[in-house]
Amino acid sequence: MQIKEELAQIVGVRNVSDDPEALGAYARDCSLSTPRAPNYIARPKNTAEVQSVLKLAGETGMPVVPCSSGIHFYGNTIPNLGGIILDLRRMNKILDIDMANKMVMVEPGVTWGQLQAEVAKQKMMGLCPLLPHPLKSVVTSHLEREPMLIPKFEYAGAMVTLEVVFPSGEAFRTGSACVPGFPDKSMAEGVNPGGPGYLTYSWLVQGAQGTMGVVTWAKVKMAPKPEIDKTFFIPFDNLDDAVRLVYNVQRRMLGEECFILNDINLASILANKWPKDFNTLKKLLAPWTVVLVLGGGWRRPEEKIEYEEEGLREAAAELHIPELPTSVPSLPGLERDLPGMLRNAWPEKRAYWKFAAKGASQDIFFHTTLDRSPEFVEAIELVTDWHEYPGNIGYYIQPMEYGRACHFEANLPYDPYSAEDAEMMGKIYREAAEAVIERGGFFTRPYGEVAGMVYEKAASYTSALKKVKNLLDPKNIMSPGRLCF
Amino acid sequence: MLKVEEYKHQAETCVRCSYCKLIDLNWVKSSRFSRQCPIDVRYRFNLYSAHGLLHAALAELDNKLEFTPKFMEALWQCTLCGGCDIRCKRNLDVEVLQVIQDLRERCVEQGKSLPEHKLLATNVKKSHNIYGAAAGDRRKWMGTDVKPAPRADIVYFVGDAYAYRHPEIALATARLLEKAGFPFMVLADEWSSGHELFATGQVAAAKEMAEHNVKAIQSSGAKTVITGDAEAYKTLKVDYPRMMGKSTADMPYTVLHITEFIDQQVKDGKIKFTRRVPIKVTYHDPCNLGRLAEPWYQWEPKYEPPNIAVGKTWRRGDKGVYMPPRDILKGIKGLELIEMERVKDNTWCCGYGGGVGVAFPDFALWTAGERVEEARQTGAEAIVSACPNCKDVLASAATAHNTGLKVYDITEIMLRAVGK
Amino acid sequence: MITPKEAYETLQSIVGKEWVSDDPAICEADRYCSLSSPTDEKRRPGASIEPANTEEVRAIVRVCNRYKLPFVVTSTFYGAGTYCRKDNSILIDLKRMNTIEIDDQNMYAVVGPGVPFAALQGDLLKRGLYTFVAGCGGQSSVLANTVNMGDAPIGWRTGLGYQRILGVEWVLPDGEMLRMGSFSQGDDFFWGEGPGPDLRGLLRGCAGHQSRLGVVTRIGVKVFPFVSEELKPDGWAYHTTMNLPTNRFKWYNIRFNTRDDAINAMFEIGRCEIGLVVMTVPPIFRGVARTRGVGCAGFWEFWKDAGAKLAAAATDVRVLLYGIGSNKRLAYEEKVLLDVVADFKGSAREAPCRDETNIMAADAICANVVGGRFSSEVSYESINQAVRYSKVVDEICDRHRPPILQEYNSTDWFCPYELGYIAKMECLRMAAVEGIEGLEAWKAETQDACAAGGAYALVPDNKVFGPVWGNYPEKEDAIRALFDPNKISAPE
Repeated sequence: MQIKEELAQIVGVRNVSDDPEALGAYARDCSLSTPRAPNYIARPKNTAEVQSVLKLAGETGMPVVPCSSGIHFYGNTIPNLGGIILDLRRMNKILDIDMANKMVMVEPGVTWGQLQAEVAKQKMMGLCPLLPHPLKSVVTSHLEREPMLIPKFEYAGAMVTLEVVFPSGEAFRTGSACVPGFPDKSMAEGVNPGGPGYLTYSWLVQGAQGTMGVVTWAKVKMAPKPEIDKTFFIPFDNLDDAVRLVYNVQRRMLGEECFILNDINLASILANKWPKDFNTLKKLLAPWTVVLVLGGGWRRPEEKIEYEEEGLREAAAELHIPELPTSVPSLPGLERDLPGMLRNAWPEKRAYWKFAAKGASQDIFFHTTLDRSPEFVEAIELVTDWHEYPGNIGYYIQPMEYGRACHFEANLPYDPYSAEDAEMMGKIYREAAEAVIERGGFFTRPYGEVAGMVYEKAASYTSALKKVKNLLDPKNIMSPGRLCF
Repeated sequence: MLKVEEYKHQAETCVRCSYCKLIDLNWVKSSRFSRQCPIDVRYRFNLYSAHGLLHAALAELDNKLEFTPKFMEALWQCTLCGGCDIRCKRNLDVEVLQVIQDLRERCVEQGKSLPEHKLLATNVKKSHNIYGAAAGDRRKWMGTDVKPAPRADIVYFVGDAYAYRHPEIALATARLLEKAGFPFMVLADEWSSGHELFATGQVAAAKEMAEHNVKAIQSSGAKTVITGDAEAYKTLKVDYPRMMGKSTADMPYTVLHITEFIDQQVKDGKIKFTRRVPIKVTYHDPCNLGRLAEPWYQWEPKYEPPNIAVGKTWRRGDKGVYMPPRDILKGIKGLELIEMERVKDNTWCCGYGGGVGVAFPDFALWTAGERVEEARQTGAEAIVSACPNCKDVLASAATAHNTGLKVYDITEIMLRAVGK
Repeated sequence: MITPKEAYETLQSIVGKEWVSDDPAICEADRYCSLSSPTDEKRRPGASIEPANTEEVRAIVRVCNRYKLPFVVTSTFYGAGTYCRKDNSILIDLKRMNTIEIDDQNMYAVVGPGVPFAALQGDLLKRGLYTFVAGCGGQSSVLANTVNMGDAPIGWRTGLGYQRILGVEWVLPDGEMLRMGSFSQGDDFFWGEGPGPDLRGLLRGCAGHQSRLGVVTRIGVKVFPFVSEELKPDGWAYHTTMNLPTNRFKWYNIRFNTRDDAINAMFEIGRCEIGLVVMTVPPIFRGVARTRGVGCAGFWEFWKDAGAKLAAAATDVRVLLYGIGSNKRLAYEEKVLLDVVADFKGSAREAPCRDETNIMAADAICANVVGGRFSSEVSYESINQAVRYSKVVDEICDRHRPPILQEYNSTDWFCPYELGYIAKMECLRMAAVEGIEGLEAWKAETQDACAAGGAYALVPDNKVFGPVWGNYPEKEDAIRALFDPNKISAPE
């Protein structure tokens, strides 16, 4: 039987396609990655179907590239060697909201907008990254280890347990979800990520860009959603001072959402009408803004904000920061609306903030420590200046784990339809990545050609990783050509 | 010596947590000065610790292990400082130090005493002091100035070290007693306390000293024995009753260290520190004055399940002489006392005890060097201690490490503060 | 003794003659580790070796591969699996590798395996930081505990062991180096994940591999913001405690009428995100705390009367509040706590503002003073599982007295972590020393009940749980085969 027929037997005729136009949609994404089309698209509905597809792929040697968001930014769902796109968006149920353990169990097709709306009914919120695209999958965000906006927890990621279908077709539940009868008939509730035994399987799957298996559901943490907030937009002329405040505030364990944006990114996020609002804001905003949301507690919310504000003012006084504004010039009421914005996906009807300027954005992001952020701004701008990059670079610095480290992100808007822009961005991306690596920036999740650079440098890691990959996927059917595989 | 079943039981009760290697955890102020056990820090193999020695003791008892060269090295370089014992007893009921001491006795019984330690016994047998010096010279320190009373309630027990090596301290002690207005006797025929013999497993020889000295004290009619020698203090108070199968309370005398005595006299107003002694000092707690110096409680092993030692009073280190020396120093005008990190029951051994200073002088010096570094980091100008061997080895280390630190016996400081 | 002789000579050439020994006494003292079952046969190592650095470790492991010498790894011996099971084994003792580097600003420390928690804590407290200290005591190794276990009540804030690992330096059983996280690309340990798939997933699961996958030689560990006020230790011998500044800390002892009330209150406290420690207090701990310094006899004297009177249905909860970052925070947290207590009909009493158990874990092993053999059933899962599973364990216990001693009521210890996202249940059981077969029977029945009821317990019998938990032993064996082709890393 032909592969297409076999796929149709598994997922149903309507959920298989080899139509060139449909395939073309998966051949490219919002990145500069070379377009490459798959051979088939399959849309499974449940774990059993996923297993059958992987078994078929194993038998035929056909690559499989899983995806679950409706939009992709970094090239990690473009098939390098053809194969089957396993589009998991039909698996879009919120399986369980576990209020006791403050966790939610979701299928890969669940988006942030969908999740946040549902859990908000119970006064909870998912721990989301910065304004995720409305089509972004919650599971993908967690698998990709996108940084949370709230640095107050002693863990960077909120993914707990999951079900993964390994390339062999085995469905395996990680951590304490492995027990028989989970979730309905077991004592265990799937909250321990470790094991079973002395391995943590969920970690092997995270950051893997689909190379280790297909996640069919994940249990992730959520947190109580403050009912009232007080938001501060603290302006700085230079990044060093902004970083100093963030260190101080985080050391005092204050606040909910906390991050640093430069004027370009903040203006991009807040601008409603382009380019008018953007230009106005850009003139009014300071070069850097620390956005800090003090959230009311589950109980006595006003008193929590009161003591946190006292702590913030002490921190500011120590650093001789004269003012702590709670508004943004020309945008009255933003302080009231921003927390809600941050605890949700980007609105569907607005052009995504990263694309609003020119249509696309080349993002360079990595981990470093807060104190080194200014150094990396300089390093990136050396490269962009060299290439006479004409655009406005947006910066987003996300402290993690009480300021222990940060996610550093530079967003470089460009016109995706301009070959010249594409060529320049390709060079800038490469050279900036090299500069970052040379200076000790850590690409914890390397995409595209950065992966090659990273894995070459991380020789011992690469060697061990390849062994593990070879064990789990001896035929290399899962996203071949990705990372170092 | 413990009976075999009790010895085995104690060694087996160790839970092997390695707490014995550190000072009390609540008192750890830095990684640099967090460790308790000199042999552990120096040699690192687990054998070189209470944990390891107890474990090896069990195998030796079961004839699965002989006293190998390394076993001997670990066993005989232990200074018997008692840090491990007190540390373990914070949480558990284990007679750690007794097992180690008994292990030494077993070693000696098998003829494996070290030659340097055997020499101590030879010297003591010959001339009743560990140095082999002339017995007749024992009272030479008195010169013509010191006139002990023919009869008094107090016997001043001098000890080998002060009698022969530091007569100036013996003299200072006598002066202090005079200043306090307390007449005292000095035994006409004081023998070595036997401390080193007991510590080195030569218990029969130590017992001879004990019997002689106790008889002499009894014959004198004194009820109180005062000594400035911390080793003699501990031996008379703890090891003598132990060797005789009694409790400290059963002995015909009470032992006081000179600091206990003087501290009480200061508080009673009988002696005053009138002179300024402008110096910054740090105080080193001698093991034998602090954690090893609690009264001895004789006990016949009797257990009820699950592990209840019926009628036993445990010595957990809280009743050592820690505060009197400090109160004395703090009461002296112009003197500033700065504490090291490891103090009181956490004290780091000077390195001399347990026969180590005699048989392993390099290791003793190394151990003292660690202590001197700790003292140096306080910013003090001097170390004050209350034991002659502590003073000697710390002084040697202070010189060897070019620290510029002076080392005093507390008696010297007290005499200076009292004035002539 | 090690054969062949040239293997031993090669080891001598690596570390120097001073740091490797086949002396029977040295090897005998290294034979036993503390937390293993008494029925496990522990063999005397053929040699013990103490490397000074990673390079020496790597060389040693390569020599072991060349001559097929099994090895196990330890530093404080306070582990469960770190003993030799085969003849001609090497015991690698890492306690010389005790370097500490602290990055104050970015709140992490890089430690070697020979660093005990208390030592690191001593260095951190004066910097306004603190480290998690393991419930088994501050004398245990930071590195070993973090990669193998890593639980203590202060995990309410700091998370369990797996949450605290940053960059890792690891000598695999075949002698290859593995550098993980940010350390994979440079000399910085500040971040643990990746690059890409996170191979820390090989480092540990619910617990660690206990020498089965080579030697971890350095890790970055997270440290946490603390108060700037000095914590003053007090007392000596067995009286020691750590006084906590009263403007920053408060202890509360809270009594609830029912276990359900206590559990629900703990859930609610988690939602409120307050506190540094939140846990139930099993009656046996209360007994031990009251009898400090009087040993086994003193404990049983107290327990024979008081044990029965400790309310069977009541559950005591202890909460440590922590006013960091703002002068008003402590007052806020206190009000919220008392609101919760009132809502769940508890009664709260302030307790002395000092600590022996969490900052340095100085009294960690004091529960052993009660004598007999301690055994426990442990699980790390939800608070709900803790409640359900503990009932199952209790019922089974009732069928095994003796050798399990009477505790009058449940001694189960519920300790939620990470603000309630996960919790430990520990059923502490004392047994008469003679009752080893009875304890084994209890354990076996408990394991069967755990497997059947879908509970997730800590120390599974692979034969019982392997088939029902995704055949994980096969996967572990496959991973081991990848990295330990000569089967020398703690082979069974």
